[in-house]
This record gives sequence, C-alpha cells and structure tokens, in this order.
Amino acid sequence: VQPPEKPLQTEEWNRLRESFQSPERFEEVMFNNMVRCNSPIDVAKSLLTYVAKSNGDIAYNLLVKYLALCVQQGQTSEIHDVYDIMKIRFRILESGAYNLFIRGLSNSDQWRTALTLLEEVKKNMIPSRTNYESCIKAAIRHQEMNLAFELYHEMLAKDLVPTLDVLQAFFDFSRGMKGAELQKELFGILLYLRENQTYPHKTFMRSIKLWFESIPGGNWRGHLTNIKDSGQCPVCNHQLEDSDLTEEEYNNLRERIIRDVIHGTDTFRKTSPREFEAFQKFVENRLPFDIVIDGLNVSHIKPRKMHCENLFDAVNCLAKENARLLVLGRKHMLVNSSNWKREIMKEMQNKADFFFAENISEDDAFLLYATLQSGKHCKFVTRDFLRDHKACLPDSVTRHLFRKWQRGHQIVFSPSPAFRYDCVVQTTGDTWHIPYKDSFEEKYSYQVPRKWLCIQQKR
Amino acid sequence: MQSANVLLKKIVRSSVLPFAAQHGMKKDLFPLTRSLSLSLCLRQDNSCDPSEKVDLDAWKKVMKSGLQEEVGETVSERKELSSSAAAREMLEMWRLAGRSVPEDISEEQLKTFMECPSKSAQKKYLKYLYLKELYKKNDKRKIEEKKERRLEMQEQASKSDETKRNSFLCVWANSMDRAYSWRVAQSMTFGQPLVFDMSYEKEMSGREVANTVRQIVLSESFNRRSVDPFHIHFCNFQDDSLYHKEFIKHYREAWGKLLLTVTEQCYTDVFPKDKLIYLTADSPKVMKTFDHDKIYIIGSMVDRSIKTGVSLARAKRLGLETAALPLEKYLLWNSGAKNLTLDQMMHILLTLKDTGDWKKALEFVPKRKYCGFVSKPVHELKKTLSLINTLKLGKRREEVRKQFAKNYSKKLTQK
Repeated sequence: VQPPEKPLQTEEWNRLRESFQSPERFEEVMFNNMVRCNSPIDVAKSLLTYVAKSNGDIAYNLLVKYLALCVQQGQTSEIHDVYDIMKIRFRILESGAYNLFIRGLSNSDQWRTALTLLEEVKKNMIPSRTNYESCIKAAIRHQEMNLAFELYHEMLAKDLVPTLDVLQAFFDFSRGMKGAELQKELFGILLYLRENQTYPHKTFMRSIKLWFESIPGGNWRGHLTNIKDSGQCPVCNHQLEDSDLTEEEYNNLRERIIRDVIHGTDTFRKTSPREFEAFQKFVENRLPFDIVIDGLNVSHIKPRKMHCENLFDAVNCLAKENARLLVLGRKHMLVNSSNWKREIMKEMQNKADFFFAENISEDDAFLLYATLQSGKHCKFVTRDFLRDHKACLPDSVTRHLFRKWQRGHQIVFSPSPAFRYDCVVQTTGDTWHIPYKDSFEEKYSYQVPRKWLCIQQKR
Repeated sequence: MQSANVLLKKIVRSSVLPFAAQHGMKKDLFPLTRSLSLSLCLRQDNSCDPSEKVDLDAWKKVMKSGLQEEVGETVSERKELSSSAAAREMLEMWRLAGRSVPEDISEEQLKTFMECPSKSAQKKYLKYLYLKELYKKNDKRKIEEKKERRLEMQEQASKSDETKRNSFLCVWANSMDRAYSWRVAQSMTFGQPLVFDMSYEKEMSGREVANTVRQIVLSESFNRRSVDPFHIHFCNFQDDSLYHKEFIKHYREAWGKLLLTVTEQCYTDVFPKDKLIYLTADSPKVMKTFDHDKIYIIGSMVDRSIKTGVSLARAKRLGLETAALPLEKYLLWNSGAKNLTLDQMMHILLTLKDTGDWKKALEFVPKRKYCGFVSKPVHELKKTLSLINTLKLGKRREEVRKQFAKNYSKKLTQK
C-alpha cells in the first residue's frame, strides 16, 4: 500500500483500512511503508490520532515505528514527546526503542540526553556498538574529547569492536588540536589497529594523514607509497618490521597448535596417537627442514598434468641450494596408479624426505607441526588457506599470531611468496607506517594490502 | 529501615512529580498544557477550514491522559527488581515490539535464557520457545475443534439412530501391542543386534541430547512395529546421565519395561570385535551389502554445530571396522549433510534387513537432499551434466562443437 501524501481524517483512514486485505495488521503495514517511503511526519501523526481515537490506546510497536520515522527525519521535539509518553506508559523499554532514541537524540543539540539513555541501557544489558558509536560521535562533535575517549575505552572493555567510522571521527575532529594527552589517545587508536590487524580504508587513511600533518609544531609529513618486496620503505628508507614472532610468541603458537589443532578434543579425530608419535620421531631424527611441502595439495596445481608430475616439478623447483625438503603425503600415493607413478615417486624420495600418513588422517596438522618444529626459518608450501585450523584455535590472540606466522612462512606457488615484512600498523616513534585498503569493502582475510602510508617527523 | 521504605513508597505513589524528577530528565512537567494549547489553535484552524486540517497531536493527549494513577503504581514497584524479574519485563517489552518471544516462560526457561552467552544465543533460544509455543497452541486448537466436531456428530447420531451399535469390543490397539511385543521379545533372543553408542553426551548441548533421545524413541517404535525387529542395545549408557533423564521424560514408567538391552558396558565388551561395524558418514569405506551376521553400531549423536570425525575417532580408537551408506552411489546428491537422523537410519537398516534392496531403503533419505536415483553409471551422468552445463553457459558452445567435429573426423579417419 502506498501511504497517503496528506494527513487523513478518521473516516478516510477507516475507508483505507477496510479496503486493506488484512485490516488487523493495517496500521503496522502502513507504518512500515511510511518508514520506507519516508512519508511526511504529519501523515503518521494523523494515523496515530486515528488509532488513538478508535482504540483509546496505541500499541508499543506502533510507537516505536513512529519513532523510527521521527529519527529518520531528525524531528527532535517529536522524539522528545515520544520519549515522555513511553516513559509514562512503560517501566522499561526494549533495545530497539533505546537504539532509536539514542540515535535520534545524539544527532540533536540534546545529545546529553542520549548519554543518560545509554546509562539506562547499561542497567539491563550490554549496549550495542552502534549505541556507543552515536554517543561517542555526539561527544566528539561537541569537542568533549575526554568524554568521547572515556566511552571509547568503556566499549573496548566490554569487548565491543568499534566501527572504523568512529575511529575516523576521532581523527577528523582532532585536526589541528593541541595536547599531549589527545595525541597519546590517538596513537592508542593506531596501536589498536595494529593489535587487531585491522587496516584502515582510503578515506580513513586520509584522515590520519591530515591529522598528523596538522599537529601544531609536530612537523609530520605523510606520503603514500608501495613497500618493496625487501620490506624497505621507498620514501624514508626505513626497514619495516619482519614478520618473525618473538621467541615467546613462537613457542606459545607451537604449543597451541599441538594442543588445539592436532589433539583437540580427541587425537583420533585428525590422526591417531600412534601415528602422531611415529611422525614426531620421524621429524626429530631429521630436523631441521627448510621447506615443508603439502604433497597432495601441490600435486593438484595443474589439473591437466599427472599428480605426481606436479609434485615432481615442485620438488625440483624447491630443491635448489641444498634446501632440506620434507614432503607430506598419504599412503595411497605409494600405490602405483595412473596418477602416481612408482618410478617418479622413487626418484623424488632421493631429493626430499617423505612422510606418508594414513589415508584417513589429516596431513595439514602434520604440516604445521613439522614447520613449527623446524624453527623460525622454515617455510611451508600449500595453497590451502588453513582456515579450518585457524578456527580450532580458541582465542583471538593466538589466531592473530597464527595469521602473522602464516603470512611470513607460507609459500603459495602462483600468486605470492611469503612476505619478508609484517603487514601491520607500525611505529618507531618518529615514523609511522600504516597499510591501507583501497576501497571500503572487505578484502579476503588472507589478503594483505600492498599500499602504505608513510609518515615521518622532520626534526 | 523497612518502615521508612514503606513510607517512601507511599510518598512516591501519592504524586507524579517525584517520578519526573527521579529521571533527571529535562522534560516539561506539564505535558498536558502544551498539547492542549496546540490543539486549541488547531481547533480554531479547523473552524475556518474543516475539511483540510486534522488534530495531529490528539494522540498524545490520549496517551497521556488518565494515566497518572497507574504511573504511581508502577513507580512504587520500581525499586529492588530481581534480575529474573527484570529479564521477564524485558521479554515482555520485546514481545510488545513484535519480536518472536513466547508469551509464557517458565522459571527454568528464564534461567536458561539468562545463561545464554551472547545476544544472538538469547535471540535464538527465544525464537525456539516462541515457535514451540505456537505449535502447541495450534495443536490444542485443532484438538478442540475436533472434539467439537465429534460431539456434534454424536448428537446427530443419537438423534437419528440409537439402535446402531458395535457388538465388538475395541481391543485392536491393545492386541496389536501384544503382538508387537511378542515379536520384539523373540528378536531379543534370536534377533540381530543393533547398537546405539551412548557415549556422546559430552559432545552435545542439552537440546541436542533431547533431540537425540527423541530420534531414538522414534527408532525404537519403528523397530517394534517391523516384521523382523532388531535387538536394540544401548551401550555405554550411564545411569543419571542426560540421556537417561530425557528417556524418562519420554517413556515415564514404560522405561523399565522396554524390550531392549541397556548396558553400561562398551559394545566391544559385549560383542566380538571382528563382528562390529561402526556406521559413520565420515568413513572412507562404503557399505556394499547388508550383512546379517554383523553387528552395526550407530552413534547416538545430533550435531548442530559441525563436528566432523567424532564418531570415526571412536571407531579408530577401538580399531573397529567402519562403513558409510552408499549415498553417492545410488543418489544424485543435491544439498545437505550426508549424516542422517537416527530414525532415518533405523528405517533404512530395517528395510535393508528385510529386502536387501538399496533403492527401497534409500527412499527414507529426505527428498530435499537428493535430486533422484542414479539409473546410469555415475561417470556417464556426470558427462551429460557437464554437457548440459556447457550448453547452458553457451560460452563454450563453439568449443564443444569443434571438439565434437575433431573427434568425429578422427573416428572417420580411423575407419
């Protein structure tokens, strides 16, 4: 149904309602359409009046829908009136209404009311991140930076993930402002991006750049650049951090992989204790390897070729310079078949160490174990994104470690070699290097941006 | 102290003003005056142009008037709300807002609700309760309608003809039950065993266990009614486990009289190992025929989250043979997981046992999961499928034609 363009009289509403197919839902449907078409508020009011006159009351959901319309059009005084009415009528409100009130009021000059509402929400539940977003933005807009940061830290403490929008607002509104405290807080935001391996998008990056350059007496200059494969910044010649984990992180990751990925709830799910023990012994005797290859994965690189031919090419390609190779496979590869020729397998076994797991075991787990056991220099070859293994890790810290390690150590044949530098926001005090996404939309989680913002301080 | 509280409550109840002050909100304390004055001018407008103008804020007046007394009431109860009461109130508001929330919620359900780890978990649980309530209500309504209809019929019947009477006692169900029981008792001495492995409790949530037990109850009833039932074993069954509780919920006192074997022992202790076959969808081996000498094991587990390889791990640990149903071989699989419900498994196994006909047995796989039965060898079907696809895509039509021409000419030259 198309909502009318002008306020209607009671009789006119009545007529409309009777012509509607399910009159009992008429008001609801009408209100939904009004919100969708952004009808004039007077029309909605006239409908409310009609409902109030005929029923003597207006249902909560209709009030909320009316409120949504008011918020959509920024009708602050109406929002207030609805709030008064709801407060009299209902002891508490539900989250939908609170969301609307907070959103509506934070955009008006009565934004402080939104803060009291936020307090009220906290009594009953955890506010959503958009609740915080509205309040923080309102505070920033009114130059109450302390309050904004207080709310920001509060939401982080509640494990809510702030939108990039809020973070960007911090930078936009701090432009040209002085204050060591403020600067520290904004650096804190950059470090938050680093910790969570989040990349700003282009417009956000621009806000960051402008803020840096606007710091009074800061002498910061920003440049957009691409980082060379060697990890050196072409603008300031600074060498980026390498992607190696610290000793502690490395050991932590290794233990977690063994505990959560290989053993998990039941060792038998991915392998068997006996097989794993045999593998451990096998690896101990031959350590360390330079490259560990997922044989089955590599053997499918070129679909037209025989499986063992693909593997053979890969091994030959990697076997240069006396690298110690380990190829992981399954037992069925040993059986002579059209895809696995015995002679070629024999020849390969002279060039690399092979371990064949049971046909029903998961070789990826072995791949991770062997690589991690060999040490930091060791790389592994597979096209697999290893997402399922990452998912076995229970906490986000270890998952980030895993991703970082994976970026630095995985060789994927066709697109890219392992990165020599770590792709995160990083600083040395007088330089900042910030990778950024070209567009707003999400990239794949395994892809990292190649574009960087280099900021340096000239003394 | 308490008396002071009561006094306070009374004071609060007696007037509206403290309520408004309590909120610390800057709002006009005399809402009525404003809307009144507004509507007054509107009314004046109305007089000059009656057809055009509507009193737009009249609804506010309606909403605000006649509520003052009630307000006092609600305010007095405002203090000291226990968390469960607060949650209950919140649910009520959600319901008013039109969310899927049940009307009635028991204390136990409320507790589960509050223990939900996340907002989405809460939402899901509420929706589940809401749907449950809806189904229950519908069922009740249908039963009542049926009752009414029957009463009407009876009335009519009694009016028209009173002499017509059935001379047989209606003992049909009872005697059927006895016949079934007799058959199952037979199978308990001579029948082929079928094992339900009840060791998955730790892997499941409470709801999953409930679902599992429901499926087993269905399986048991199918088995009881079949021509040649299995001798069902519940192995690894712990008393006072969640399974046990759910079974008692379903069977009540009949639990003790069921014609099946319940044991704490593992199946490997009850039967010789070389006769056992663990049925699991993750098995690399595909079942070819139903073996009447083997003992098949079904894992009593419903997994709503994806937990692959759990039952395969059990079999591996004990070194048992495993098998999967030949679903790929006989069905053109469409979508959905290959793991079937326990009652579907029971149907399939019973049919296999009676007839050995795979096609008949696999009729019990839900229709939505497959497109049809495989009549030709699979590789041929795949070929036609890929041909259809290339034709549909149209892009490579030219290519296909060329390929065909090439092959054709080759054939010609070979001749």
